Amino acid sequence: MKLIVLAQEDDNHTAPLKWALEKAGYRVACWGGLSWMGQGQASIRLGSNNSITLGQHSVDPGDVVWIRRPEPPQSNPKTLEADKKFAAQEYRSLYHSIAFLLETMPVWCINKYSASRMTIQKSVQLQIARRCGLKIPDTLMSNNPEEVKAFLRRGGRSICKGFTPHVWQKTGQTSVAITETFEITGDQLPADEVLTYAPAIYQELVPKEYDIRMVLMGNHIYSYALNNTKKALDWRQDAGFGHVSAELVPTPPEVEKGILEFARQTGVCFGSLDFGVDAKGQWWFLEINEQGQFLWLDQFNPSLKIMGKFCAFVTAPEGSTAPLEEREDLFPTLKEYEDLLSREAVPPLARPHSEDPFLSMEA
Amino acid sequence: MDQDNRVLTRRGARELSEQEVETVTGALKIRRTLTPCFVDSRQQLINGDQAIGECGP
Repeated sequence: MKLIVLAQEDDNHTAPLKWALEKAGYRVACWGGLSWMGQGQASIRLGSNNSITLGQHSVDPGDVVWIRRPEPPQSNPKTLEADKKFAAQEYRSLYHSIAFLLETMPVWCINKYSASRMTIQKSVQLQIARRCGLKIPDTLMSNNPEEVKAFLRRGGRSICKGFTPHVWQKTGQTSVAITETFEITGDQLPADEVLTYAPAIYQELVPKEYDIRMVLMGNHIYSYALNNTKKALDWRQDAGFGHVSAELVPTPPEVEKGILEFARQTGVCFGSLDFGVDAKGQWWFLEINEQGQFLWLDQFNPSLKIMGKFCAFVTAPEGSTAPLEEREDLFPTLKEYEDLLSREAVPPLARPHSEDPFLSMEA
Repeated sequence: MDQDNRVLTRRGARELSEQEVETVTGALKIRRTLTPCFVDSRQQLINGDQAIGECGP
């Protein structure tokens, strides 16, 4: 068995996890995604012997495939202009053929590609969460000004947020503006036409006492209470400033039951989930990012050992119910990795390699 | 630029000064680079919870 990670080797989660797994004696292979260049090339062979080859790595029965963050397919820049659009579609088709075919092979996909593509849609995850008995805020996703105004008139406080994160950078400056959840009232709405420039998500404001970041690993659920000293609506920026602390808390039985059912219905076995907890102690499901960040929890609180838990998760049999805590200490810690990183004894972590879809320049 | 004509989500975005961006990424070179919304000051990238893969968000 080997772990095949679909991500660049220097991705900020892939690098430390690969290092930890190899230190513990496991084989790890990285494939950064489909590309015209040598290691990015891939093949599917179908016939009497089916096979998938990703760069120099073959996908073998019993392997675990972690679809972390492959780069978008890259076609050869020397392709003639007249052929570029066609070539790009062909690259995309080959990637899809690989990603979906993996689900039919005797390997364990974290997560199955079809499950991740469906579950990443915020409408789908909210609806399934509700169906599984989890509490969700009233939500409108729309570009229709009349619908937006009606939603904000319904009574109660509301927030607005984007479907995806984004950074706006002023030309020639390094100051930036970053999308963040913000409170909105009907009086603050711009002209109707502006609401049609970009759809958005409008939601009932959850009167949060604190936030929960939950990590789902198969049958295991870990919930962490986040104390944000800034008490912002959105804690994620404040985490970067160090204003957030993380502490392991028990998951209420009804929430655990709902999440395990959510995992069953969506088909995801791994993900990072956000909840808000109100004054009555009710947990409100806000979202799941099926390949969200999780190692930062160890940066904030090393006793959580989330890196060891993930290593134990991907090296256990699929569907195992054995506590990950029993094996988490078989793996070195993120702190050990970061010590090596600070001494430049391991390669540096990299930034995304392809053009960033989340960045816009503005005057 | 006509700020009244910006998308609503841009209006609600959090402004980070150059100094704030450096606070996150410069002074804390290694720590907190794995957080759900890490902004890379050199390339002004978000490297966080969401990634747009090869076929969109």
